Amino acid sequence: MFGLTAHKRTEPPGWGSVCIFPAALALALFLGLGLLALTGRPPLAVLGALLSGAFGSVRAVEETLLKTAPIFLCSLGVAATFRIKVWNIGAEGQYALGAVGGTAVALAFPGLPASVLLPLMFLGAALAGALWAAIPALLRQRLAVNEIITTLMLNYLGILFLDWLVYGPWKDPASHGFPMTALFAPGAVLPRIPGTRLHWGLPLCAALGLGLWFFLSRTRLGFELKASGEGRRTATYARMPYDALVLLVMGLCGALAGWAGLIETSAGLGRLQPTVMAGYGFTAIVVAWLARLRPLAIAMAAFLLAALRVGVENLMLDFSVPAAFGRILEGLILLCVLAGQFFTTFTLRRSKPLAPNPAPEPAPKPTGEAA
Amino acid sequence: MLMKRLALVLAAACLALTLAACGSGEKKAEEKKEAPAAAQAKQEAPAPAPAAESAMQVGFIYVSPIGDAGYSFAHDLGRKALAGMPGVTTSYVESVPEGADAERIIRNMAAKGFKVIFTTSYGYMDPTLKVAGEFPDTVFMHCSGYKTAPNMGAYFGRIYQARYLTGMVAGSMTKSNILGYVAAFPIPEVIRGINAFALGAQKVNPKAEVRVVWTKTWYDPATEKEAAKSLLDVGADVIAQHQDSPGPQEAAQEKGAYSVGYNSDMSAFAPKSHLTSAIWNWGVYYANVVEKVKAGTWKSSSDWWGMDKGIVDIAPFGPMVPKEVQDKVLAAKAELAAGKDTVFAGPVLDQKGETRAAAGQTIPDADLLGMTWFVKGVVGATE
Amino acid sequence: MNPDLIIPLLAAAVQSGTPVLFATLGEMFTEKSGVLNLGVEGMMLCGALAAFVASLYTGSPVLGLLAGGLAGALVGSLHGLVCLTFLGNQVVSGLALTILGTGLADALGTPLVGRIAPGFGPLALPLLADLPLLGPVLFRQDPLVYLSYLLVPAFWFFFARTRPGLRLIAAGEYPAAAAAAGLDPVALRWAGILGGGFLVGLGGAYLSLAYTHLWTSNLTAGRGWIAVALVIFAAWRPGRAVAGAWLFGGIMAFQLRLQAAGTTLPSSLLLMLPYATTVLVLVAAAMRRGAARGSDAPEALSVNIEPED
Repeated sequence: MFGLTAHKRTEPPGWGSVCIFPAALALALFLGLGLLALTGRPPLAVLGALLSGAFGSVRAVEETLLKTAPIFLCSLGVAATFRIKVWNIGAEGQYALGAVGGTAVALAFPGLPASVLLPLMFLGAALAGALWAAIPALLRQRLAVNEIITTLMLNYLGILFLDWLVYGPWKDPASHGFPMTALFAPGAVLPRIPGTRLHWGLPLCAALGLGLWFFLSRTRLGFELKASGEGRRTATYARMPYDALVLLVMGLCGALAGWAGLIETSAGLGRLQPTVMAGYGFTAIVVAWLARLRPLAIAMAAFLLAALRVGVENLMLDFSVPAAFGRILEGLILLCVLAGQFFTTFTLRRSKPLAPNPAPEPAPKPTGEAA
Repeated sequence: MLMKRLALVLAAACLALTLAACGSGEKKAEEKKEAPAAAQAKQEAPAPAPAAESAMQVGFIYVSPIGDAGYSFAHDLGRKALAGMPGVTTSYVESVPEGADAERIIRNMAAKGFKVIFTTSYGYMDPTLKVAGEFPDTVFMHCSGYKTAPNMGAYFGRIYQARYLTGMVAGSMTKSNILGYVAAFPIPEVIRGINAFALGAQKVNPKAEVRVVWTKTWYDPATEKEAAKSLLDVGADVIAQHQDSPGPQEAAQEKGAYSVGYNSDMSAFAPKSHLTSAIWNWGVYYANVVEKVKAGTWKSSSDWWGMDKGIVDIAPFGPMVPKEVQDKVLAAKAELAAGKDTVFAGPVLDQKGETRAAAGQTIPDADLLGMTWFVKGVVGATE
Repeated sequence: MNPDLIIPLLAAAVQSGTPVLFATLGEMFTEKSGVLNLGVEGMMLCGALAAFVASLYTGSPVLGLLAGGLAGALVGSLHGLVCLTFLGNQVVSGLALTILGTGLADALGTPLVGRIAPGFGPLALPLLADLPLLGPVLFRQDPLVYLSYLLVPAFWFFFARTRPGLRLIAAGEYPAAAAAAGLDPVALRWAGILGGGFLVGLGGAYLSLAYTHLWTSNLTAGRGWIAVALVIFAAWRPGRAVAGAWLFGGIMAFQLRLQAAGTTLPSSLLLMLPYATTVLVLVAAAMRRGAARGSDAPEALSVNIEPED
């Protein structure tokens, strides 16, 4: 195409690859703002509103950070499964089950002090989420049932289960008939870090992220996990059956997504209601991929996408931009980054023009050696 | 080599772009904020507001896109009704999820200097209350809730009165005595509407029964239409709805049955089947509140306006509704418009046959607001 | 449940399953050529919008149908660009396409809410419509349903007996061998994406031109995702796709009719039925087949073809 052919890089890309992500981001923003410009909204002003909405004040940054936490947790989990090529798109459902598990504990023991109740809630959320993820894992390993389909179906089932609970057995009699549980006892609400509007879920995320990073880059098992494409080698190395590895990683994802659900329920709403579902499970997949499955990069990408969501709200107010615009930008960013990642693995070179003699060549050969 | 150069150029370009955007963006954003506000003020008030005062900003928060053809669409019609008011500009944010996001957006609006903010869904109650505490000079109005504060009022409309009247029409027009109701979510306002509809139908036709199908969605025309068809299959010949899309209307017309719409006049979608609709007229209330705030006479209250104030109404009758039926319904409407609300006047029995209101009593507002049971004659689950 | 309700239920199953069937066949077409495209939901919604707009402004539902198909193919071509040209990961690219596609359609379609477009209505086929049982269930539907009846055997024939079909399969199973034999697997995959995208767009068009004659945001309501699942469910065979689509549509229609018949089961639980059934049927089929046989997926599904050096 255009007289260029692609060739696999024989040496790792230089610092040029660092530019790819911002370049792709810029392209996506350019396209998105361009679309808005077509409808008469000045692009630079829109960009300004987007940025100021996400970062323009301490409060804005706090809001962005608060939104980063659930995305980050779900992404960590999803990245772990994607690493061993288990295509788990069930983070939404696992998030829902985590919220349910944590709520079950909160509603069962309202009198306990926070120091006991909160850890129990986290345990409950982790178990519920892990269980929900274990189902597709078992089906995959024992019966070769494709996990894309099972995790997808379990998303719907998980959310409907949550719905059933809050419309039925867990509905708060004092809620005037609306689908929500009773307000959590003070001991069940994740407390704020004094002096800010952030809650302790954020340091937890930081700790988990660092822990996972350490595990992946500084331990042998983690290194194997990072290096081996499909996981079977890792399993051999860890001396555990491949089935167990899949179950473990899926369970981990379920637990992490479950904690995201719990945090949003406890710190964000203070009760369980259907609006706890916010599509973080799907954004998590986007983030995990943008960050090439690495924990620290995931933190940055999660922050970026949270900023996007928060910033777009500003746009809605200032420029009457429709709510769907955030999705347009998110999709564009991902597509551009995916396309851009091409350049880290391949390089384009001018292909030698076809020789004038009529005998056809299947493909032009590259002229020189490695560039 | 070529690639490296290309990458360098691209990186430099986007860096420059970002810096430029940040710098001028902030300034431009300020200017632009004034510009659309000023432009809107110019459009909506040909005579510009008097000297020192800039336009009063009124904001609306919607739970779904205004493209839902229903609930938020109706609220937005109310917002547009403020367009003629001098010195007032309006703005809205749609598809705001209830919860932490709502709090942030409401706060954002208040921080930008909006004087009156209408939050139009039950789930915004706690976030609105919280933000109201932080902005004592801003007036917050929350729809369909019950918590108030010195600068926060609650409001709703007695759409059940309109439902009662549409029930009378449906009860008069049915031949099979089965009325189908396509409903979204089992929450009190929906249940209350179904009950009022049933009571109205039973008033003119004691044998009428109402069957309910829950779709668990506010706007999914395909599923709503399928739900309507399932009701038509069990013999319903009038389809009513508490849904935002006209899917059920279409289904009714295709089968040759009748239909009752919601939110706004839905006759355009099903002219052959549309009997009437239960419609909102939020503009009347919004204008009232904004006038009071402008005049400085607004006080916090819990307003539950009814047909007497014009906030709810029924759409014009379809041509197939006979005159006697129209007269009967209009007479009932006149009573409601005069302030005589006997929709839930006793005796009222529930599905199990227990008495919820004895003869001579009426169900109090507090119980209406939290209604989670069906009246006798309604067939279906309440969750 | 009343036996009188069975025939309307079966007829509803067919109609409810048709948009999903188009989308499933479309995704199957693409996957057979070796490309996994999870962007079906976005493509379907864009197809629905394009079809609605075209029909609204030209007055011709047939033009609308074509526009819907073309829109699906156009949106799908983004996936082709990212995966075939830039070798992006197919799973994630498809997901991005869903996000972008639904966002675009919702944003562009807002001014059209509240309009009705000319569409397709039921058309009873003479003679066939009077057959007992089969008549009312299969032959009193709208023309697009009849199109789907023709599409299934055509699909099978294309892949089993025609050269282009076999070439597409080659691109999906052994692209390297196909290249060695003189075929161009990338071009074949493009054909797979565009052709499949067209069919998916038709599925979307069905929702706004036949199932309803309306447009609102979220018109597809997750049906695209069901189609992705059903391709796997159908083991990449068109006949089974029909079974899956009609089963899914049927269960959805069934739970609604259960409610209409007066059940007091909570609606959230009833709504679980279609999804739970899909999983259960899959599990049952897997248990019967035994894990040993493995997957029926095309060998090179979702594996990008890298340029040779």
